[in-house]
Amino acid sequence: MGPALDIPLHVKYIQSLGENKDDLVYHLTAHLRMNAVYWGLTALLIMKHKDALDRDEMIDFVMSCWDDEAGGFGAHPDHDAHIHSTLSAIQILVMQNALDRVDVPRVVKFILSLQQDSGVFAGDQWGEIDTRFLYIAVNALSLLGHLHELDVEKTVGYIRRCRNFDGGFGAREGAESHASQVFVCVAALAILDRLEEVDQDMLGWWLAERQLPNGGLNGRPEKLEDVCYSFWVLSAMSILNKVPWINAEKLTAFILSAQDPEQGGIADRPGDQPDVFHTIFGVAGLSILGYPGLDDLDPVYCMPASVIESLGLRKGWTALPRRQV
Amino acid sequence: MSDLLADDSEWADVVPIRQYENVNPIAPIFYSEEYKDATDYFRGVVKTGEMSPRVLKLTERVIRMNPAHYTAWQHRYKTVMALQVSLEDELELMDEIATMFLKTYQVWHHRRLILTALNSVDAAARELVFLKTVLENDSKNYHTWSYRQWILVHFNDEERLWAGERPYVEELLEEDVRNNSAWHHRFFVVFSSGVRAGDEDREQTLRRELSFAKEKIALAPNNLSAWNYLRGALEHTHTPFTTVTAFVEPYTASEPPATDVVDLDNPLPSAGAQLPCVAALEFLADIYEEEGGEKTAKAVEIWKLLANEKDTMRKKYWEHRIRDALQKA
Repeated sequence: MGPALDIPLHVKYIQSLGENKDDLVYHLTAHLRMNAVYWGLTALLIMKHKDALDRDEMIDFVMSCWDDEAGGFGAHPDHDAHIHSTLSAIQILVMQNALDRVDVPRVVKFILSLQQDSGVFAGDQWGEIDTRFLYIAVNALSLLGHLHELDVEKTVGYIRRCRNFDGGFGAREGAESHASQVFVCVAALAILDRLEEVDQDMLGWWLAERQLPNGGLNGRPEKLEDVCYSFWVLSAMSILNKVPWINAEKLTAFILSAQDPEQGGIADRPGDQPDVFHTIFGVAGLSILGYPGLDDLDPVYCMPASVIESLGLRKGWTALPRRQV
Repeated sequence: MSDLLADDSEWADVVPIRQYENVNPIAPIFYSEEYKDATDYFRGVVKTGEMSPRVLKLTERVIRMNPAHYTAWQHRYKTVMALQVSLEDELELMDEIATMFLKTYQVWHHRRLILTALNSVDAAARELVFLKTVLENDSKNYHTWSYRQWILVHFNDEERLWAGERPYVEELLEEDVRNNSAWHHRFFVVFSSGVRAGDEDREQTLRRELSFAKEKIALAPNNLSAWNYLRGALEHTHTPFTTVTAFVEPYTASEPPATDVVDLDNPLPSAGAQLPCVAALEFLADIYEEEGGEKTAKAVEIWKLLANEKDTMRKKYWEHRIRDALQKA
């Protein structure tokens, strides 16, 4: 019998992230700031502590990252707009019930402008392409209620070309199957109602094979376990209705053992330094596994299920039933 | 002796822009003097739109301190193109940075942009050589591999680029037979990016690939990548799994067979291999399921063994296979 999920401690940990600005590390991660706020907020919501961070301050921060030239959000007040930070901004505002602050037509234009001829999306004008950005575009457009403006065939066509011989998906055409890329491709297909593009049995098995003897999940064969795969793998399996193929008991124990019992937060694996990225994905994984005391998470959007349901965007995924203790 | 640009007369004409010039931050930031100095001046030159040799040096300085600073990369690329810097020189300079920061997306995207601008097979060939040195440090680096795959497709030169790939993969698998990235790359090169020169006889190509996979499985049977490759090659060519039954069976026994006979088509598990091999059991069950009829019962037997003994982690998955097969029967 291992440790339980120390929710109060993790809440304090997330709150403290806004305070430790006196070192280089905080500044070096400025390019992730918007994402970090989204990760922190989502974790708090799933742990049922929405009010642990100030709502107005957070909304002000998000809006201070608006890049009026590009029509999107940057990661930080003086950073150029990027599709990733734009999605995080939208997700935060949706969860804070403040989407009315967004100039929706401009953001939709910004997102659509990043689609390439091949169907994939670039992250920004610099042109880096990745199926992550494709998922981000689909997710964002759907949250904004403008999915109908997307060329679905073109988008799905690219995902199809990223499908590998093992049933998995990569970052680009020809790239190796990797659990996080599997998640983005499967989740994008779920939003677009095109899950028939997936060989669900084969991929479900490939995902189940990510579980290692220590209970943790890895991202590709012969690689190490990492708590973040508790989300990438598990959410994909939830969308494919195959969460039972993962040994829930062992994975739960693994995630819980990666908590930092002193400062709070969850690390990539037991004994390592925690960070907000692994904290949300550990909590998200536990939610999908039915861990008691947590709220339901929508695996397609990685946001509270209740929020997604209220927008009429819930898809046919299944998670394990919530245990009562 | 200060290293700061603020103390360097060469930069006296630039107005540095502090972080949060016009914005009320959630909380103040303090960070290392050098990084603050470099990024203050960087913001200054972005504002004026300067693209000069000193800006090249400045972006390099910022990148070395923070390789994920994608605006610095963007501005560097624009400056490189505006100044018409030798792109070969730029790549070479970036070699060191790529090696230091090989897990950063931006490092690779920058190289891709430069290579696109160079637009030469010579440059692509040199790049493939450079990537080998990076992969020596981190043989499974996802960005490096995906970049390699892009180069091959984009420049598409059989003799100078594609030809060396299969031998390279073999080298890597000699070093580490469990390198999933190398196995993926082999599949990519042989099956999913057109027909390689010399591989026009597809049946012979398949025979060779099956033989390769079997040889590697014999060497180290408990290697999911190799079994996935075998499976993938058969499925891709619509070849029934039953064609490899004789190969798979010995791997499902608890001990290697007592025989001196060497069957080159069906290499046996090497001495010391852990048997039975779980992946082989799975494969044999799939073969029986494919055959159907009375063989289904044998598949079910294997799945029960996996569920209850050999692969209990995935018990529910094996139980699903049983239910599924019995339903269809």
